[in-house]
Amino acid sequence: MSIVRLEDVHKVYPLGETHVRAVNGVTFAIERGDFISIAGPSGSGKSTILNMIGCIDTPTEGSVYIDGRPTSGLTDRQITRLRHQFIGFIFQSFNLVPVLNVFENIEFPLLLGSEVASKEERKEYVDFLIEEVDLTRWRTHRPNELSGGQRQRVAIARALVTRPQIVLADEPTANLDSKTGEGIIELMKRINRELETTFIFSTHDPSIMEIADHIIRLLDGSVIEDRRTATAGAKA
Amino acid sequence: MKTLLKTVLIALRNLNRQKRRTFLLGGAIAFGIAIVTLINGFAGSFVENVSENFSNLLAGHIFVQGVEKTAAGKEYRTIADDGILLDIMTEQEMPVTFVSKRSEFTGSLIFQGESIRQTVVGVDWDEEQYLRERLVLLEGDFENMLVMNDRGERNGIILTEAIAEALNVELGERIIARMRTVAGQQNVGEFVLAGVSYDPGLFGQLAAYADLSYVNELLTLQPKQYQTLGIFLTDLGLIDQEAERYYEVLSQRVNVFDRAVEEDGQNPVEALFEQADEQTWTGVRYRLFTLNDVLSEVDEIVRLLNGAALVILLVLFVIIMVGITNTFRMIMYERVKEIGTMRALGMQRPRVQVLFLLEAFFLAMGGVAFGLVVAGIIMLILSRIYLGLDSAIFILLKNGYFTFTVRPLQVAMNTGIVAALTLLAAFLPSRKAALMPPVDALRA
Repeated sequence: MSIVRLEDVHKVYPLGETHVRAVNGVTFAIERGDFISIAGPSGSGKSTILNMIGCIDTPTEGSVYIDGRPTSGLTDRQITRLRHQFIGFIFQSFNLVPVLNVFENIEFPLLLGSEVASKEERKEYVDFLIEEVDLTRWRTHRPNELSGGQRQRVAIARALVTRPQIVLADEPTANLDSKTGEGIIELMKRINRELETTFIFSTHDPSIMEIADHIIRLLDGSVIEDRRTATAGAKA
Repeated sequence: MKTLLKTVLIALRNLNRQKRRTFLLGGAIAFGIAIVTLINGFAGSFVENVSENFSNLLAGHIFVQGVEKTAAGKEYRTIADDGILLDIMTEQEMPVTFVSKRSEFTGSLIFQGESIRQTVVGVDWDEEQYLRERLVLLEGDFENMLVMNDRGERNGIILTEAIAEALNVELGERIIARMRTVAGQQNVGEFVLAGVSYDPGLFGQLAAYADLSYVNELLTLQPKQYQTLGIFLTDLGLIDQEAERYYEVLSQRVNVFDRAVEEDGQNPVEALFEQADEQTWTGVRYRLFTLNDVLSEVDEIVRLLNGAALVILLVLFVIIMVGITNTFRMIMYERVKEIGTMRALGMQRPRVQVLFLLEAFFLAMGGVAFGLVVAGIIMLILSRIYLGLDSAIFILLKNGYFTFTVRPLQVAMNTGIVAALTLLAAFLPSRKAALMPPVDALRA
């Protein structure tokens, strides 16, 4: 069963007296453990699709299924719980909580659920992730004391801390230089392999796009290409 | 609980993020609470100080007066035999520190063609040591008065500055007093100005003081007689309780006037005095009143002061509330992306609202704590400044110093009001933040 499935999804935004059609009848499926790139130029609907998969936006028409369950008809509380349990987010501009240090930022989502792990359990796993993203030295630093690449690595660790099945990354390398960007994508790929977490990231950078094992290319809100790459074959 | 602790931590750190803004808002709250606490503190000690000062001037906390009425309807104010009155105090083991015995008349003082109405109180100078300590003499001294008494010249008088000036009289000069005896007959006496006292003027002019035996003589009372027995208790707080006890026993032994007969808004002492004229009776009756009865208007002043403090608190905080609402609206727009991120990460709507409300709550509590410290410092400084017994506001002071009594319940109430108003001010912005769809917040 696909972990994410979109069926004839449309998204229309009102803009003054007119309407903008951001997503236009998109249908695709994503398999568990995939490392997927949603590619396309600006305005092609990448972020809107990621937002709908991430349950922070709803389709105007069509259905989004997460782990086989439709996201429509859920209350705000249920949707928030679903996001917390199933989905991790990595944002283009990192979106760390400025008043929390590296450890606290990563730990933060663990404190939002209805059941909170013990302090020792939380510390052990957060420290493991800090080590994974190579930020041990920066554990007690606040976001304003970190470089862009370091901030994005904190965001990756934060996205993974609740052990989500899906991690969504909206243009995770857009605010980074190319070398740091590559490092971030490689880190995401490594974690994808090690933890078997499904990674869905949007990009308009062709070089980064090709690292994915499943590429969905968009243009003007429609899918123009949906293919698995050679990497996917190698992984399989 | 762990989540709440983290939310508390974030709220506190958020306050620290914009130090200047936090300081200004907290400072406004602190200013408001400091003003109100000062007023409350002043009002808190107002009754005590005024009561204590008046008790010294009136010579007692509980007062007993005897009134004799003849068949012809003539009234004489006198205590001919105080045996029963003093026995009751002993029998009841009342906490008494001192007993004063005074007589007084209101008549005209005349000097070189100038005449002025004045109440002259007869006191026992040897006994009323505290009055000698309280009465600030600008001219003359008590020693002089005591020496005159020893020489048998009992007609020394102490006038207030205002009266002495009005009569244009100097120390040692003789003043004629025209008054009525207890039986209502005209009488004339002669006083020698022995001292001039400071007149605070705030609560009306003080009485003139003279020797009890000479005032008795003018009133045609016997040397052992007097008009008012004043009982000083060990504690002002015991006045009502002890007066009640004393009155109960007194009413079993002698005829007494009813207490607490005043109509709404009427002074209890006034009502008590009216009974003597209104009722048809003959013989001797006693009336008992207390300092609290005399100063019943003071309680009204305190109520007014506390009411004014509450109004000031509310007005100040309505203004501050507008500032808080605007600031939190601004904060919401500044942190809109942060709100979106937290919601995306799984923070439920109520917790977003709690985060903002906690921030407002801590801001209020910080402001209150700071305001209380400031008020405390101001009170400490003011209470160290000696204003003197000749201060224009001496009646409000304790031994010439300001005193402040801050009641914990009042502070708790003010704190509660500030907390409630601050939370109310932050409620709408926090609710707006909580209801904002995460996608809109992240896109902002």
